Amino acid sequence: MTSAGRRVLVVEDETLVLINLEDILEQLGWSIAAQAMRLPEAERLASSVEALDVAILDVNIGGAKVFPAAQILRERGVPILFATGYGRDGLPPEWQDHAVIAKPYSQADIERALDRLLGADV
Amino acid sequence: MAELDFARIFEALPSPFMILDRDLCYVAANAAYQQVVGTPFDRLKGQNLFALFPNEGEAGKRLRQSFERVLATGEPDTLAYINYPITEADGTVTNRYWTAVHVPLTGPDGTVQHVMQNTVDVTELVRMREATTLPYGSISAATRLIERTRETEASSAEFRRLFQQAPAFFAVLSGPSHVFTFTSDSYIKLIGGRNVIGQAIAQAMPEVVEQGFVALLDRVYAEGHVHAAESARVMLENEPGQPAKETFLDFSYNPIRDGAGNITGVFVQGMDRTEAVRAARRQRLLIDELNHRVKNTLATVQSIASQTLRSTSDFAQARRSLEARIMALSNAHTMLSDRHWHDAELGHLVCQELSAFGDEQVDYGGPALVVNAKTTVALALVLHEMAANAARHGALSVPEGNLAVRWHRDGEGQLVLEWIERNGPTPAETVRQGFGSRLLRMVVTGELGGGLDLNYDQNGLRARLSIPATAYAEQEARFD
Repeated sequence: MTSAGRRVLVVEDETLVLINLEDILEQLGWSIAAQAMRLPEAERLASSVEALDVAILDVNIGGAKVFPAAQILRERGVPILFATGYGRDGLPPEWQDHAVIAKPYSQADIERALDRLLGADV
Repeated sequence: MAELDFARIFEALPSPFMILDRDLCYVAANAAYQQVVGTPFDRLKGQNLFALFPNEGEAGKRLRQSFERVLATGEPDTLAYINYPITEADGTVTNRYWTAVHVPLTGPDGTVQHVMQNTVDVTELVRMREATTLPYGSISAATRLIERTRETEASSAEFRRLFQQAPAFFAVLSGPSHVFTFTSDSYIKLIGGRNVIGQAIAQAMPEVVEQGFVALLDRVYAEGHVHAAESARVMLENEPGQPAKETFLDFSYNPIRDGAGNITGVFVQGMDRTEAVRAARRQRLLIDELNHRVKNTLATVQSIASQTLRSTSDFAQARRSLEARIMALSNAHTMLSDRHWHDAELGHLVCQELSAFGDEQVDYGGPALVVNAKTTVALALVLHEMAANAARHGALSVPEGNLAVRWHRDGEGQLVLEWIERNGPTPAETVRQGFGSRLLRMVVTGELGGGLDLNYDQNGLRARLSIPATAYAEQEARFD
């Protein structure tokens, strides 16, 4: 896997989970283009950060749902990986066909999920 | 329409009913009841309930007290949950849960002469299933009996009163336009006290027309089948002058036939299950919420473990740090759990981390200030890291050093917390870039959307955290 230099947007409202995800992504060679912990920031970044290869989105952020930001990314054609403690059941029907990773996840889980989403030859 | 034969209908009701006299001896029991207790009526008749089904336990005591209350007060009494094992006909004993409603039946002089019991088997509900379980399985036998109710037998005033006062609801609709000719008290209550006798259902209760219930009655009336539904959602005007409300009903429509077999009306009976359905939904949401919380907590613990293990190669040190961090998280959870996972007092959080140090080294204080659950967990971890850093590398690592922590609410409603270390060693670059500093920055500026001034000078760390009211005071959406 050669993900060096590829850019990811991360949305996660729990600091410790975000720290862990940042470390995992850095070890996998990803570059964190931007990160948000609250919905307004997530929406702003979803429309403004350029050249995104993928977005990893926590579903519940600070009592709100991440879907307004996800919608912006979907319209831009950015692949989305949802992360949630509820697993696939945590997604409403209109988002069920998107990739999901259940919390807690390991580095290998993230690597596999991104490979499957983006194609193993990236 | 001719008088209904209430004795026949009582017998045919799919839900268990029985009647006791003042000595708690059986005077009547319908087929559903006999089936549930696995005992035919000729063996129940005249027998004392507790002599026949002894129960010295808590359930037996509650049951007896409920009967006594009804006899003494003349008011109905409900046992929402009663655990009462049943011996089947083959001798096997199964543990079941019931909702029992006890209704007084008064004689002509107004005194209570009998108690009628209606039980609903809620075992499945207790076992966390969504569906409720009125025993509608016996419906076909019931239908045959109900179909004979118009046969020429004298009606019973006693049974008519029984239906009038029954906890389950009953109504009789006559003719092809479904005109109300009988409604029980509970049915009237269900439809908001409207007087509907003599009116067609479409005029009396216009809200049910577009929900398809009149069309359903038309089919039962035309085709003669029984329609039964469990936990059906019905929008009903159940308070006078108020808009229709969501109600959940177990109900059945049974055709009523005359002696020649022609359908003359529809017998409506059922039970209001709204509270049970809502309780089951709430429980489902609570379980989802709990599951979510556990998964998030595990993700947090996972992160704590991996951060701790990567920061040092000293196993003994890693073990101590990991234990202390998990304890800090656990203490925050305990604090929240004491207040229904709602909020916690900031002073308690600070005290939790700093009480281990002596008064001569540590001084803290501020007004009573309540923070929400998310902020409690976030600040508990931050305060723990700051205290641990102070003890290992900062002002609390030397005897002459000291620490002051002060907090207040500023003019804009922000929570401001100041952490001032004095007379400590100059902080090393490793501390500034360490896990504690990274956590502090991300929690305050990211997770809580606040401001952070960090100052490492020769005295040690000075930090000023300002957290907006929207982050620490507002509650997240609750599951109910």
